[in-house]
Amino acid sequence: MIEGNSTFIHVGQLHVDVAPAAISTILGSCVAVCLYDRKSGIGGMNHYLLPFWNGNSLQSPRFGNIAIPKLIESMLERGANIKNIEAKIFGGASMNISASNNMMIGEKNILVAREILKEYKIHIVAEDVGKENGRKIQFNLQNAKVLLKYTMKAHV
Amino acid sequence: MENIVNKENMSDELEFLSKKILELNKKLIDGEKAKSRFLSLVANKLNNPLTAILGIMPHLKIIDTQENKLLFELVYKEVLNLDFKIQNLVMASEIESGNIDISYALVDPKEIIDEALECLKYLIKEKNIEIKIKSSIKQKVVTDPKKVYIIVKNLISNGCRYGFENSVITIALDIEDSMFVIKVKNQGDAPKVKYKPEIFTRFAKDADGKHGLGIGLSVVREICERVEGSIDYEADDGFVTFVVRLSLDENMVDSQAYGSNEFLFESFDDAIEL
Repeated sequence: MIEGNSTFIHVGQLHVDVAPAAISTILGSCVAVCLYDRKSGIGGMNHYLLPFWNGNSLQSPRFGNIAIPKLIESMLERGANIKNIEAKIFGGASMNISASNNMMIGEKNILVAREILKEYKIHIVAEDVGKENGRKIQFNLQNAKVLLKYTMKAHV
Repeated sequence: MENIVNKENMSDELEFLSKKILELNKKLIDGEKAKSRFLSLVANKLNNPLTAILGIMPHLKIIDTQENKLLFELVYKEVLNLDFKIQNLVMASEIESGNIDISYALVDPKEIIDEALECLKYLIKEKNIEIKIKSSIKQKVVTDPKKVYIIVKNLISNGCRYGFENSVITIALDIEDSMFVIKVKNQGDAPKVKYKPEIFTRFAKDADGKHGLGIGLSVVREICERVEGSIDYEADDGFVTFVVRLSLDENMVDSQAYGSNEFLFESFDDAIEL
């Protein structure tokens, strides 16, 4: 049972909260990075659509290389300590169309998450990425656990 | 066997190229970051005093002479214009922060159009533009009124700025294939850009020397995408039509998901825990 605030985030959103709270989203080829500071109970989640900012639209967290640093910054602003932060990553499914059509967005999204987290020396403690199904996830900040269910059809 | 080798090669190549893009993109982001922060700060600092001025202005007692009236109109027009620009900047910084909040409500689209027209009345008057509204929507629609307001205000304002004097702007509201469609058509030359996406680019380099901040259409595009919609334009025979499509059905689903996240909780009964 979830206690505290429960927030649903869409593509291009990120949310940072402190336990007791939960953050949830639905993913297809998008990726969500969940960060958690075990000491302070501060946790956050983003939900990005594409791996790289295209250099001309707004620097919104629809892009992995904007969304992940921004989520880390928001966690630190909220009072988390970078040394205590650990990560879980989800999503990056391949849609049912052929890989070439898809431009392997899901895979690139996963790769960006791994690379950026490595750069910040944030350890990935759990992940469920790739494959072909969409995912529903719910991140419970009270116990740092993520509940995951596959959806029948891949979402964005 | 060959297929497996090919797949591995492709995968390596993808990884290499992605890392390369990431590295190059980082420099680009860092370069633009200062600009984004500055804009966000400025917009928020200017917003409060301006809101106060906007609230006070209609209560000013004007000594009733023609000259005073004109002066008042001039100041009011500029304040409204400034407010419009700052609202766009505030929205841009909200989008960039990832804190953009979409809240759906049951609204009459015509009321939103009227509100936008009221704020743009001096611009419309200045260019002597006639506004025609054609709406086939009889009922209220579920959408985010604040976002639709920003979308239509930007499109109508652009229509006035780039449209001819003494011309007509037609605003059409329809529901097509479960999409809420807004069309703003003005008489004027097509935007002078080589590629369509350029026009939705923030701070686009002046294509014809008279573009504004380059924020408006980039904000509109982001909002449209955020509510699972789209924006495009057609230029034909002296007319430019911007078409915005906003998803209606999805919105309903969204609001249910928002209103009762219960549907997510319930279905997590046999979920995997990570």
